[in-house]
Amino acid sequence: MTVVSSAFKNKRRLPPCRAACPAEVNVQGYMALLQQGKFKESVELIRKSMPFPAICGRVCFSPCQDACSRKNIDQPVGIRYLKRLAADIEREQGRIKPDAVPKTHNEKVAIIGAGPAGLSTAYELAKLGYPVTVFERMPEPGGMMRYGIPDYRLQKYVVANEIAYIQDLGVEIKTGVEFGKDIEIDTLRNEGYKAIFIANGTQLSTKLGVPGEDLEGVFPAVEFLRDVSLGKTVDVGEKVAVIGGGNSAIDAACTSLRFGAKEVTVLYRRSRNEMPALPHEVEAAEKEGVKICFLVAPKQIIGEEGRVKLIECLRMKLGEPDASGRRRPVPIQRTEHTYGVDTVIPAIGQMPETSCLPSILLDERARAISVDQLTLETKIPGIFAGGDVVTRPASVIEAVGAGKRAAVSIDRYLNGANLRTGREEEIEETTWVKDWEKITRKSERYTAPHIDIGRQKVSFEKADELLTKIKAVATFEARRCLECGLCTECLGGEELCEADKAVVDETLCIGCNVCAIVCPFEAVKKNETGVAQVNEDLCKGCGTCSASCPERAIGMQRFTDSLILTNVAATLGEPT
Amino acid sequence: MMFRPKIVGFLCNWSLPQEVNTTGTGIIQGYPKIRIVRVMCIGRIDPVIVLETFVKGADGVLVIGCHPPDCHYIEGNLQAERKIKMLKKLISRTGLEPERLRLDWAYASETELFATIIDDFRTQVAVLGPSPLAGKKPDENVLAGIMAAKAVTGDSRLRTLVGREKELIEEGNVYNEKVEQEEFDEVMNESIDEEYVRSRIRLLVKDRPMSVEGLARHLGLDPKKVLRHIVVLRHRGLVALDKIEREDPLYIALEVT
Ligand SMILES: Cc1cc2nc3c(=O)[nH]c(=O)nc-3n(C[C@H](O)[C@H](O)[C@H](O)COP(=O)(O)OP(=O)(O)OC[C@H]3O[C@@H](n4cnc5c(N)ncnc54)[C@H](O)[C@@H]3O)c2cc1C
Ligand code: SF4
Repeated sequence: MTVVSSAFKNKRRLPPCRAACPAEVNVQGYMALLQQGKFKESVELIRKSMPFPAICGRVCFSPCQDACSRKNIDQPVGIRYLKRLAADIEREQGRIKPDAVPKTHNEKVAIIGAGPAGLSTAYELAKLGYPVTVFERMPEPGGMMRYGIPDYRLQKYVVANEIAYIQDLGVEIKTGVEFGKDIEIDTLRNEGYKAIFIANGTQLSTKLGVPGEDLEGVFPAVEFLRDVSLGKTVDVGEKVAVIGGGNSAIDAACTSLRFGAKEVTVLYRRSRNEMPALPHEVEAAEKEGVKICFLVAPKQIIGEEGRVKLIECLRMKLGEPDASGRRRPVPIQRTEHTYGVDTVIPAIGQMPETSCLPSILLDERARAISVDQLTLETKIPGIFAGGDVVTRPASVIEAVGAGKRAAVSIDRYLNGANLRTGREEEIEETTWVKDWEKITRKSERYTAPHIDIGRQKVSFEKADELLTKIKAVATFEARRCLECGLCTECLGGEELCEADKAVVDETLCIGCNVCAIVCPFEAVKKNETGVAQVNEDLCKGCGTCSASCPERAIGMQRFTDSLILTNVAATLGEPT
Repeated sequence: MMFRPKIVGFLCNWSLPQEVNTTGTGIIQGYPKIRIVRVMCIGRIDPVIVLETFVKGADGVLVIGCHPPDCHYIEGNLQAERKIKMLKKLISRTGLEPERLRLDWAYASETELFATIIDDFRTQVAVLGPSPLAGKKPDENVLAGIMAAKAVTGDSRLRTLVGREKELIEEGNVYNEKVEQEEFDEVMNESIDEEYVRSRIRLLVKDRPMSVEGLARHLGLDPKKVLRHIVVLRHRGLVALDKIEREDPLYIALEVT
């Protein structure tokens, strides 16, 4: 890590999981809660960072898990699975409705688009006491979480439940309102909205750019999945070719199977390694019978009487890396070949709808909204944008991260504060573990089957038994967390844990260094002057050094010997 | 009436069942009676605190932490195990039954296991009857023993040994010589014996000077051994010659500042 001396760069020290998460979810904290079987509390803790625990527990690409320190020993902690489990248990047992947050600000904020980006901004601002209205043109809020990702991966009631929580806090969502038609920037301003956040995502499918694309039976993935989500019946015939390698390609393929297709082939122009879709989703799709052909691209779609009949493809090979760092596919001449198909589903990407946006907001190629990367402010003061419409198709958690960042900016903007001060920060991954070899707690990941307790046809007793089992598995898995971050990650000072710190009485310390041997975190050792010194960042307050110090020179700040003994006396004084 | 032992349970923050109030002390609802004292980690349990708990009248002390190798603090539970092992040996010399102290493992979620551990231990302590230290008139001999033991656990020798146990056995000393567990236990037993007797001597001669003969009779030990301890104690500056009475030197404890 490079050392930055710049005065405005804050340095924050986070464990790898949290550092990797765009929404900075406190993983270590909720692992600690799960270890104690506190499922509801752990969900509440996740909600402090973002409003979608159950959704992310299902569809997040979980960069936290990829970063998890535990991979240095055996296997990362099953973070996504645990998040899903905790959130599902909370929902199935009846979520407690939160109280609406009192509106302590007068400035109204308008949000365009009820996808994860818009909803997160609304959530954060509502928590701060702002009156927030989200305008959404579809009949239901949720964006791609509602109309893109299919039900078998992300159930509609799960999305609805998490959005209901945001509404409970006091966020108003107006559906069926289209920006650019029913409302405009000016009309919103006239209605008294002091800040606007645009998060309309990427709703248009990228064209394949090959002949035959307008034939009947060519059905772009986003539209196909949207229609399915709207409950329309879609006839895909028997043979389906899906073009692309992202999540929407895989989702469209699996959905086609569910709609009666017998033979579904995904055509991807690069190789498996380059596929942007989540690897476990690809695997699941293949298990379901989806065939994936690599290094092929369509050359044209051939129709008969205006309907798709054949697809002609070319074989590809990988050439030099392109701007994205992936190797560019190059067609191999004279490798044309055709397949017979009933439906072609292009799923090669999405683009924002820019026609409803003032051109001053767009980037030079007019393909996305251009914003200040740090503050997400557009070229018009008071108008902010984030999510897919800025980044191009990305992910739920990145959209949430953008939403959170925008909320900070909007709050500052409305208070007349500088949008940038103190925000340029550097995140440093910090763990106390210096030598992975020394960690001996090796264990395989614990897993239990996903269940929807309320929805499975099992007796009450059986469901209860299952739940107990699942909870036990979850606490075991959570215990695999090394808590490798700094002490305060586990909610120091909050109800869960009373952060304690060792204190050395230098007049008593003789520099024997026994503390350094017993401290599990290398948080205390003899310094140059020969006395023990505590590194407060690393000390987690277990008190082992205090109980072991041969000279009794180390005490604790909170759990002092005398406090413990007072508690002993008090409890002995209680009646039997 | 059936004897209902007073049991103090030292539980770590992370293995504490949810039902317990988190204010620090409390009695678990729905569990057989046990008086809970919460600490962040059972590695925090200083041997001195355990002995003081007996002095305060507990009939039994139960320490519960997470099952190894799991521990919120990597190995706080194993650190506790070493301390309890040493303590049991030490307590057995004092006349108090070492069975009144137990270390066990359970996770917060294992409610049934918790109940079983507590039940089991309560029965065991109930069979032993009230602690000789509990009640209005504690047994003087046992009390003297426990006070001596307390002083020992507050002193550096056993604390250093316990603190270094893992290092000596797993990594070796400064010369990279690893110590076998048996060898270590031998040293530990010897140290406990020596320090315990020395501590008793110090307490005996705290207020009135005594001769080697007198001490040997009181402690039921060979006078030659007692003399050797006196030499060490004088050397450490803890005991001094007070006067000579009828040709017998009498020793007295020195205040340590
Ligand atoms: C098929 C598919 C599968 C995916 N799978 C995953 C996955 O597994 N994991 C993952 O992390 N991500 C996945 N993604 C990506 C993820 O869903 C998006 O990155 C994310 O939803 C972007 O959030 P957003 O809020 O920026 O935009 P969106 O979610 O697109 O929300 C934008 C909202 O704005 C509304 N809107 C648009 N124009 C207007 C207008 N003019 N007026 C009013 N409202 C308007 C839209 O109706 C929509 O509700 C997937 C995407 C697709 C399409
Ligand atoms: S309290 Fe625990 S973590 Fe802190 S210095 Fe002491 S042994 Fe290390």
